[in-house]
Amino acid sequence: MIGELIEDDNAGTVGSAALSVASLFFIAIMIIAFTANPIAIGTDVGERAPEIEGKAYDGGTWYEFDFEGYFDSSWEQGNVSGQWVALIFMDTDCPYCQQSASNQADWANTYNSNNPNWNGPHVNFIASATELNIQGHDSSRAEIQDFRAEYGHNFPYIDDIDQDNMKEWGIPGTPNYFLIQPDGIIAWVSDDASEDLSQAIQRITPREGA
Amino acid sequence: MIDNLLVAAYLIPTLFGLILVAPFGKSIGDSLSARFEIMATERGRITAGLQLITFFGFAVSAQTFWISSKISEGGNFCASSTVFNCDDLIGNNDLNVDPVFGLSWGMIGMMVNAFLLFMVLVIKNEPNGEYTERFIKLGTIITGLGIFVVLLLVSYEIQESKICLYCTTAHIANIAALFGFFRLGKLYDDKSAWKQN
Repeated sequence: MIGELIEDDNAGTVGSAALSVASLFFIAIMIIAFTANPIAIGTDVGERAPEIEGKAYDGGTWYEFDFEGYFDSSWEQGNVSGQWVALIFMDTDCPYCQQSASNQADWANTYNSNNPNWNGPHVNFIASATELNIQGHDSSRAEIQDFRAEYGHNFPYIDDIDQDNMKEWGIPGTPNYFLIQPDGIIAWVSDDASEDLSQAIQRITPREGA
Repeated sequence: MIDNLLVAAYLIPTLFGLILVAPFGKSIGDSLSARFEIMATERGRITAGLQLITFFGFAVSAQTFWISSKISEGGNFCASSTVFNCDDLIGNNDLNVDPVFGLSWGMIGMMVNAFLLFMVLVIKNEPNGEYTERFIKLGTIITGLGIFVVLLLVSYEIQESKICLYCTTAHIANIAALFGFFRLGKLYDDKSAWKQN
C-alpha cells in the first residue's frame, strides 16, 4: 500500500516558532518555580487561612474586623513571641456550641500571655457566629452579645449571620475549630476528632525554654 | 524605588515596540535599517515591533505571576501607602484570578502573550505562508477580546483605588499588540506593500 505524503511548506517555520516560544514559556515557569513557593489559600492544614470579614463585637461596640491584622508574615517556626489564632465557627442556638462554650472561656484564659502558668505563645480566640439553616436557629446581633456575656467570653465575636465566612471556609456544621499559626497558615482543624482544640494548642505551639 | 525601575525595564521596550508599529515609527525604523535589515520594510518594522510588545507582555505577565506567588508565601513586593501599590491588587485573592476558572491573571497573560509571540514569529519568518492571514485575524481577535479583560482589571483598580504598574504595563502591551495586528491586517490587504522584501 502506497501512502500519500502531505507536504506542508510552513511546517519548519511553525515548528521552529513553536519550539522557541515553548522553550521561553518553560524557562519562565522554571524560574518562577525555583524562586517562589506559593501557598494555596484554603482551610486544610498547611494552607493560608482565607479572609474573615464582617463586624465584630468586643463587649463594647461593633467594629470592622481586621483578620489580617492578627498575622505576621515574618514569623518563623518555633518563635514563642508570635501570637496564634484559635478560630471558632459557632451558632448561638446550636446545643453543641452551648455545651462547649464554657470550655472555650477556660481555654481563652489559659492560653493567654497573662496566665503565668502558661509558657507558650498567646492564643487569640475569635468566634464567628453564624445562623444555621435550621428551624428555631434565628439569630441576631443582640443574641450574639447575650451569648458572649452569658458564657463569660472575653474574645471578639464576628457577625456571620449571613453565612458569608462560613461558606468561604466551607464549614459543614458547628462548632468547628481552627488553630492558625502567627503567619496565617492553618496548623490544625477540628476534623481531626482524636483531640480537641486545647490538646492541639498544647501539642503544636512552641514553649519557652523548649 | 527598585520595583519602579523594574517596571521601566518592561515598559520602555513595550513603548518602543508601539512606536515601531505606529506609522510615525518609520523614521526610527529607517535609521535602524542599516543595522537591522528587517526594519527596512513596513511589514518587517511592524512584526519586529509586535515581537517586542508580545515578548515584554509575556515577561511582565510572568513577573506578576511571580509576585502573586511571593505574596502568597506571606512576603510583599511592591506594597506602598500610595496609590501605586501592586500588592493590594496582585495579592488580593478575589481579584488576582479570573472569575470563571480561577486561573491567575499573570498565568493567563503568559499563555496569551506566548501564543501571540508564536504567531508573530510565524508571520515574520514566513510572511507569504498559508498561516499568515489566519494568524493576523486571530491575533486581532485575541487582543480585541483582551480589551474587555483590561477594562475588567481597570475596574478592579478603580474599586480598590490602587494602581498596579506591572498590570498597567501588561494592559499597554495588549493595546499595543491590538494596534500592531490591526496595522498588519491593513498592510496584508494591500498585497503590493506586503510583498515588499
